Formats: sequence, structure tokens, C-alpha cells
Amino acid sequence: MLEINKLNAQVEDKQILHDLSLNIKAGEVHAIMGPNGSGKSTLGNVLTGRDGYEVLSGDITFNGKNLLDMGIEERAREGMFLAFQYPVEIPGVSNMEFLKAAVDARRKHQGLEELSSFDFMKLARDTSKNVSLDPSFLKRGVNEGFSGGEKKRNEIMQMMLLEPSLCILDETDSGLDIDALQVVASGVNAMRNSERSFIVVTHYQRLLDFIVPDYVHVLAGGKIVKSGDKELARELEAKGYGWLEGEVA
Amino acid sequence: MSAIATPAAEFQKHALTLAAAQSATIAQHNNSPAWMTTLREQGAADFARTPWPGRKTEQWKYTSLQSLQDFVAADWGAALVPAAGHEAVTTGSAVSSALLSFDATRLVFVDGVFDARASDALPSGMTLFSLADDAASKIIADNLGRVAGSVDAARRNLFSMLNNAWTRDGLLVHLPRSVTLEKPLYIAHVSSAAPANTEATVANQRVLVVMEEGSSAQIVEHYIASTPGQAAFVNALTEIQLGNNASLHHTRLNMEDEALSHVGAVHLNLQRDARFHGFTIAEGSRLKRIDYQMNHCGQGAELNLDGVYLARNKQLVDYHTTIEHRVPNGTSKEVFRGIIGDKARAVFNGRIHIHKDAQKTLAELNNRNLLTSNSAEIDTKPELEIYADDVRCAHGATISQLDETALYYLQSRGISPAQARVMLSFGFINELLQGLPHEDIKTALGTHLSALFAADRAFVSDGDVRDAAESA
Amino acid sequence: MSEQVSGNAQVEDLMRKDYAAGFHSAIESDTLPPGLDEDTVRFISAQKEEPEWMLEWRLKAYRAWREMAEPTWAHVHYPEIDFSSISYYSSPKSMKNRPKSLDEVDPELIATYEKLGIPLHEQAALAGVAVDAVFDSVSVVTTFREKLYEAGVIFCPISEAVHKHPELVKKYLGSVVPQKDNFYAALNSAVFSDGSFVYIPKGVRCPMELSTYFRINELNTGQFERTLIIAEEGSHVSYLEGCTAPMRDENQLHAAVVELVALDDATIKYSTVQNWYPGDKNGKGGIYNFVTKRGIAHKNARISWTQVETGSAVTWKYPSCILKGDNSVGEFYSVALTNNFQQADTGTKMIHLGKNTSSTIIAKGISAGRSNSSYRGLVRMNPGAEGARNFTQCDSLLIGDQCGAHTFPYIENRNSSAVIEHEATTSKVSDDQMFLCQQRGLDAEKAVSMIVNGFCREVFKELPMEFAVEAGKLLEVSLEGSVG
Repeated sequence: MLEINKLNAQVEDKQILHDLSLNIKAGEVHAIMGPNGSGKSTLGNVLTGRDGYEVLSGDITFNGKNLLDMGIEERAREGMFLAFQYPVEIPGVSNMEFLKAAVDARRKHQGLEELSSFDFMKLARDTSKNVSLDPSFLKRGVNEGFSGGEKKRNEIMQMMLLEPSLCILDETDSGLDIDALQVVASGVNAMRNSERSFIVVTHYQRLLDFIVPDYVHVLAGGKIVKSGDKELARELEAKGYGWLEGEVA
Repeated sequence: MSAIATPAAEFQKHALTLAAAQSATIAQHNNSPAWMTTLREQGAADFARTPWPGRKTEQWKYTSLQSLQDFVAADWGAALVPAAGHEAVTTGSAVSSALLSFDATRLVFVDGVFDARASDALPSGMTLFSLADDAASKIIADNLGRVAGSVDAARRNLFSMLNNAWTRDGLLVHLPRSVTLEKPLYIAHVSSAAPANTEATVANQRVLVVMEEGSSAQIVEHYIASTPGQAAFVNALTEIQLGNNASLHHTRLNMEDEALSHVGAVHLNLQRDARFHGFTIAEGSRLKRIDYQMNHCGQGAELNLDGVYLARNKQLVDYHTTIEHRVPNGTSKEVFRGIIGDKARAVFNGRIHIHKDAQKTLAELNNRNLLTSNSAEIDTKPELEIYADDVRCAHGATISQLDETALYYLQSRGISPAQARVMLSFGFINELLQGLPHEDIKTALGTHLSALFAADRAFVSDGDVRDAAESA
Repeated sequence: MSEQVSGNAQVEDLMRKDYAAGFHSAIESDTLPPGLDEDTVRFISAQKEEPEWMLEWRLKAYRAWREMAEPTWAHVHYPEIDFSSISYYSSPKSMKNRPKSLDEVDPELIATYEKLGIPLHEQAALAGVAVDAVFDSVSVVTTFREKLYEAGVIFCPISEAVHKHPELVKKYLGSVVPQKDNFYAALNSAVFSDGSFVYIPKGVRCPMELSTYFRINELNTGQFERTLIIAEEGSHVSYLEGCTAPMRDENQLHAAVVELVALDDATIKYSTVQNWYPGDKNGKGGIYNFVTKRGIAHKNARISWTQVETGSAVTWKYPSCILKGDNSVGEFYSVALTNNFQQADTGTKMIHLGKNTSSTIIAKGISAGRSNSSYRGLVRMNPGAEGARNFTQCDSLLIGDQCGAHTFPYIENRNSSAVIEHEATTSKVSDDQMFLCQQRGLDAEKAVSMIVNGFCREVFKELPMEFAVEAGKLLEVSLEGSVG
């Protein structure tokens, strides 16, 4: 599904990722953990092609295609989805309108017909209930005046509607209370299947109690310093990141 | 009041005559430094050249200078004589009780002239213009008029020009690098009564604050009239240069009564990472006009200005503030509140100008007003002029009533509607008083104002008018 | 490796639009030589075969204008206008004897309007919209007149109303915008050539949308149209106005006056989509759009101005409401988009005189390129305006770092029971917003148009359906272009 090979990337002339390699197969859930400033969020931004994140060397293959040749929206249409840590507000653009445009773009790319407005509205309403978001949120501006938790649930709702093949969750758990966290996690778990992969970026082990990963990687100083299974996450919780510092150097 | 119907522009002529007469006196005594002569001459030339403002002059659209004609008829002879015998004034009960008592270094000026007997010793770094040594003279010459000089010609302050023309003395507050002023500095500007109380006095007041890198201070400027009902014309100018990372709390109290005409200005330059916390309060009078001209000259500076204005009877109070963001990453927050009653008029003009290079600026301006009478008037104009795209700017202005829910809440707790209105009207401005750094001043102002609110319904928003309209 | 153009650069690319209405029609015209004096005014009046009182009215305006100075307070800059180099009257030759029916109208004229998307044949016209087409100085044709006549609605060129309904014209012309109101209004009063006249009788709800389509065609011609709408007690009318002009290197002057009279319980909804030629990418050419629009609302009446301003090199325009009657309502909804070197100084005046009057102002300014867009507004509560209310919201959106967005609101209150709220914000299409949209699979073009349309939503929803679509398209066209 996704192969990252010796990726070096920089932000504002500062190299953040160093020779990072990662291989994700269909159906796998990979957790990426690490201390603040280790490059966790940079990875998500590089993968989705955000401005200002410059790839210096290395290559990334996504579903057999060269990811770095694609623009932001092409990657999205190919099935890459980033759930933002801080979703931005777009006043005046209704959630419904925005979601329909996004779903239409994805379906068109897949060679599918656009959903009728009626079908889409029904789908969107049903999906919003799945993430405990009142359907009235669909009429409001994208994230406009949403609370932190509502924004995160809105992200998961978009993920459900777009049915991506690779979901990147960027610190989706930060700032969430336990109830909201469970809603988010159950949404993610409902989407897990043999075709769809996840990269779960988090600082806290707590999320991984609800979304159980197949693999856990520790990112420090812009490279993966340790990989393991879900037990590694527990170990990190118990010991902190300090004990890995030797491996960073 | 004079029976002669002189056009207000006559004031300009009269003011220049005084400036020339003063210059002649100063020349006789031969004790004026070269920079002061230049300043006076330049000021007089600028003032003479500037067309007298009328209703079509944007800066004076809502404020007429017609009342200045009173001063044309008055004898300004007294303004020529160096102040003497002011002890009587400052030690007199009216003034001493007006002076705020709090732990501060106290400096008293009467009609712009330093009153040594009523003042504490000048702390180090502070000096009178007239006593400045070479080093201090250089600081004065380097900094005086620097803010005004950077303002667009069209927006230059007419009365700052006049202040230059009339400069005979002033106070320099200089804080060298990293120096913290231990005690707050309390500057009382007293306007004395004219002899025999028949004619107006004219006073020019001037303060220059120069704070070098990393210094910090608290300054309170208090304008006082020695006698109630005295007809004086006061022209006050405070210039402030805040160096890198310097920090100043500046409080300006301007509560003289009806008859006094006050035209004042604060000019401020903020260098990199400097912080300015300003508070200003004014009660209206025949003419009260205060301009704040504030410039972000270095990145990362922070500017906060809170203001309160109150006008009743036939008073006028006019605040004009301008914030120029010339560099990136500056922050400004300005909050002004006013209550206007009787036949009074208040004017508020808040301008924020974000220049082309001032990216990442955060600027906010908020102006709220309560009008308590249908014969009163408020004219407010919050302006944004923005030439940089990556900024967050907002302004808001409201003219409103007391919050019905809050009124109901207080009444449900057994408070009478009348009392509830007093409390909420006072609360409307008290919110801003609470931001003052000096507890003693907070208390003194709070006492003065709550008494005023209790005594004069002019400042209490009254529901009757609207209730009547609703039932009609 | 993929190369991403920064969000802002993308947006700027998208803003480079083509002006679709910029063609010139080869139509022979009788055009008055440039210059303005009393004889010009007399000539125009004579061309219209006007009665003496009309000529006198014009001359009074002309004499006042000569004593007046151009206003300079607006936040716009342009070279001094030489009023003697403008031609004050131009009429298509074929209009000399006004055609009785559409069949007699020069086919080239009809083709011009069709090209602009304004079919003048009634069978082809938008259902439910009656159109008055004004070409340079003259009304070409007014559709659906018979149908309107049945309802008692008068919709005709103002030149015709002077002859057929002199009592109404005498009573109301200049009653809202007096001849001496301002420099441009005085000029218009002296030389106005044509425009639309609307009269809705008591209690009548106008059965269809009324619309005037203004077109400047001739070179060096000023256009000075005058519109007068009178809504009698309890009547209701919705009126739309559209404007275009050919692309030319020279600036052209357009100084119109619109007067609305809403008598007790009447409603007038006036919508404008202004797309005069804005000048080229380098700021050359374009229309100077100096317009005075004002309505007076009597008891319980409602006047609603909605404008979408995308054209003109310089715009100076403040559609206003005098809320004279108790409980009257004034509304102003505006989108002003400026690009390249365009300048707009626009806003409104809400003058509250009556009790419990209320007004709403929603102004959206979008500045791109090297343009400057200013909101200038006045809210005045007079002492008699018991219980009056105003809510104002001005939002500015900046696209690129070469443009400016300004807000100059004047608030004057003399009534203690009035409540006024004013809010203004300034923001930009942020990189984060662009990234979110693109990450969800939308291309940059769609993303910008969606964000800009979202920004304008509150205003677009006030437009009549047909115009809302046109306005949306106009913005879309403005945002069309190459995406890197």
C-alpha cells in the first residue's frame, strides 16, 4: 500500500526527517509515537503534499504509484486521508456542500457516478449519527464554531464518507476527553478492514487502548528508532521516551 | 464670555502672537537652549501654515473649535510671566485634596511650570528642560518630536505644533538600559485660576519619556484644575519612546470640569518587543480633545490601551486614536467605553493602519457606548486601513442599553431597578478600571466615580425612554 | 517530485480573469461632440422633446453643478476627469424614431444583448423577468409591458414617463436625491439621457421581476441614466439591474442616479450585478462608476439594496436608505470584488428618522491583485428614532499581499434608546483552508471558489434566484484560470 524509502524532508530549511523508511501493507494499522518535535506531524504533512514541506531525497510509493509526482488533491483522490490535529474553519462554506464536493471528486476519480443530492444527504446524515454529531452540523460552515471534540468527530465523519484506502490520524486524540475519544476510536475501528490501512500518529498510549495497532514505531530525531508490536506502546507509557534517547544519537 | 464675535481662526493668530512674545522674553533672558529655539520656531511656522480646521476637516468633523474664541478675547499676559507664587495654589486645599495619595514619586507642575516645593526631589534620570545638562539636552533634542515627525503630514496634530511653538519648559524622564523605576512616577499637571477669576489662563504642558532597552516604569499623569469652573486653555503633550523590550504602564487622568478646555496628545513609538499598557479617562468639558498617536516601529511589540470617557451637561469629549503597524508581528488591543448624558456629545475615532510589510499583525479595537439622553450624541468611527494580507484584525462598536437579563437578575435578588441601573452603568466602565495596576488609583477613581454615578443620573442608563417607546 | 505552488500564488492565478462582456458592437450612433454647457443640456432636452419644466429642472441642476467641486474624500485615486472631453449623449441611429415593437429594433442591438445573455424576445426571455434594455443613452426596448400594464404597473423608459406621466415625474424626480445633492448627482440631473421608470399602484404586488440592463457601447461617452421607482402604499416590487461595457483603453464615466420611494407598507427590493469593464491587468481603461442611489422608506416600508460589484476601474457608490416612517426597514447587502488595479469605495448610509426603524448592513469586500476595496458607511440615529436598531457587519478578504482592504464606518447616535452594533473583520484565504480542501480532493480552483462563495453567502442569498446564479457564475468566472 505505502512504501517509504529513505525519506529526507525539510521545513523552512531545517531538516526534520532523516532517512525514514516505512512499509505499510493493506489492512495494517501502524502507530507512530514519539516525543514532541520528533517529526511525527511532519510525516503526515509530507505524505499529503503540504506546501512548505520539501522532500530532499528518497521516494514514496502509494498503491504502486509515485506519490511525490502527485499534487495534494490527486493524492487525496487516490485514497489518502489526513485527519488534522487542528482542523481549520472555513466560514460560509457549509459542511454538506464541502463534503459533497469532496465525495464527488473522489467518486469521479474512481470512475463512479456522482451521488444524487438526495442520496448524499441521506448518507451524510447517517454518517454524522455514527460519530454522534447532530445532523444540524452538516448545515453549518466547515468547522465554524465547532468545539475541539466536534472538529475531530467531523474529521472522522469525512473519513467515513470518503472511504480512503490510507488514513493518517494526526494526534487525533489530543485535547479529547475520554467519551469523545471512544467515539473517534469506534469510528476508526468500524472502518478497519483488509483493504484499508491506518497510520495513527500520537503522543499518548491511551488512544492505542482503543485502536489496537499491528505495529508501533517510535520516531525520534526524524527517524524510526524502534519498532515493535502493541507491547512497545505499553513499555513507552511506563518508561517514557527517555530510555530510547541513546538510540537517537 | 466675550461679546466680540471673532471667528475661531482668530485663535491661531492670537496663539502665534503669544509664541512670538514668549520668544522675545526668552531671548532677553538668554537662557534657552538652541534646540528649544528651533522647536519653537518650527512649531510656530507649522502652526501658522496649517489651515484652521472646519467641519470638513476629517480630524475635526464632529468637534468644533468655536469655543476657543473665548480665549481670543482673554488677556494672555499671565502666560508670559514665569510662574511664581504657585505654592499657594498647590498647597491650597482644593488642589491637595485632588492630588492622589499613593506611594509614588510626586512631581507637580502648575501651568506647565515646575513647582519644586510641592514636589519630591527629581529622581536620577529626570530633569526639567530648562535645567538640562549637555547629556540630557542631547537626549531631548534627539527624541523630541520624533513621533510627530513620522506621521503623515495630513494627520499631524495641530495642537502639538502649537505645543512646540509654546514650549518654555517640560519634563524629561529618561531611563537608561535595564533600569527599573522603583516607585511609580506621579506627575500632576495643575491649571491655576486666572487672577481675580475673570480671565482665562493658558498653559502648555510637556513631558518626554525616553526609555532605553529593557527598562521599565509606571507613570501616572494627572490633570487637575485648581478651582472649579475656571476657564483655562491647556495644551498638553506627552511623547514616549519605548526602546527594545522596554515596558511602560501609562495612566492619564483627565477629569477637570466644565469650563476648562483641554487639548492633549500622547505620542508613542514602540521598538522591538516593547510593551505599552495605557489607561486613559476623561470627563467632558467645554472642549476636551485627546489624541493618541501610536506607532509599532519594531517587531513583536505589544500595545494595550483602555479608555473611558464620560460626558454630561453640555460637555464635549473627543478621543482620536491611531495605531500604525509599520512592521510585522505587532499586537494591539484597544478598548474604549463611554457614557454620554444630558446634552453632551462624545466623539471616538479609532484608527488602525496596517502597512504593507506588517504581516502577522494582530489588532483589535472595541468601542462601546451608553447614551442616557435623547439630547446627547455619540459619534464613533472605528477605522481599519489594511495593506497586508496575513493579519488578523477586527473592530467593533456598539451603542447599546444595559443588559436586560442582568437588570432582571439584580432585581430578582432584591435590588431596586434604579439601584440596579446605577450598578450596571458603573459596572460598564468599572470593568476597565479594574485593569489599572495601581490599587490606590483604582480605589480613588472608583470612589469618585461611584459617587458621581449615584449623584448624577446623567451617567445612568435609564430604561424609561425606551419603555415609553415600546408601550406607545 | 511534486511542485506545489503556494496557496496564495494559486489564488492569484485564479484571479486573472477575462472580461467576457468586453466586445464592441458596430452600431451606428448619433453622438454629441464632447463638451458640456447649457446648450448641451438644451440639446439633450430637445432630443427628448421634453416639456419646458423638465428643461428648467435640468438647467437648475447644471447651474448648481458648475458651482460644485468633485468630492475627494473617498479612498480612491484617479487622474482628474476632464468633463469637457466627454460626450454627453449618444443614441443608436436606428433609435431615432423609437421602434414600436421588437421587430423594428436593429437586429445588431438585439444580438448584442443576446451575446450578453439578455434575450429581448419575450418568448425567449427568462420567465417572470421584464427587461428594459438601455444602450448608451437610450432605452432600446422594454419587454412584457402589456402584461405589466394589466396589473397596473408602469415600467417604461423615464424619457417616456416624462411625457406620459408628468404628474408622477414632477412629484418624485429629485425628491430623494435633490439636484444639488452632490457633484455627480447634479451632473446626472443636468444631462441624464434615459433610464427606467417604475410605478407600482397601491396594494399591487408586481407580477414579475423588473430588470434594466445597461450597456455602454460608444467611445468617449458618458452614461448618465436615471432610475425612479415609486411603490405606492402596500405594494411590492423586486428590481434587478445589470451593467457591462466594451473593453477600451480610455476610462469612461458612468454617473447614475437611482431614487426609490417606498410609501407606507411598501417593499422595494433593488438588486445590482455591476460588471462594467474594470480595466486591463495593468489598470488601463475601465469605467469610473460614480453613482448615487438612495431610497426613502415611509411607515412600515422596506427598502433592500443588494449589490454584487465586480466591475469598474473606480467605484464610488453608497446605496442608502432614509428611514423616515415609523417601523421602516433598510437593508444593504454587498459583495465588492476588486482585482488588478481596481478601486472600490462603497457602502451605505442608513438615516434613521422614524421610531422603531431598523437597518441591517452586511458588506463583504474581496481584494486581490493590486486593488483596494473600502467599505464606507454611515449609520445615523436622529433624536426621534426611538427604539431604532442597526446591525452592521463588514468582512474583508485579502488575496495576495499587494492589495488593501479598508473600513470607514461612521456611527452617529442621538437617541438613547437606539441600539447599534458594528463588527468588522479582515482575513485572508489561508493556506490552511486551501490545504484542507485540497487534502479532501478538491482542486485549487474549486477550493478558492468555494471559500470565496462561502464568504459571500450571506449576501448571495438575498439576490433573486436568477441573479444569485449569475452572481455565483460571475465570481466563478473571476476565479477561472490556469492552475499550476
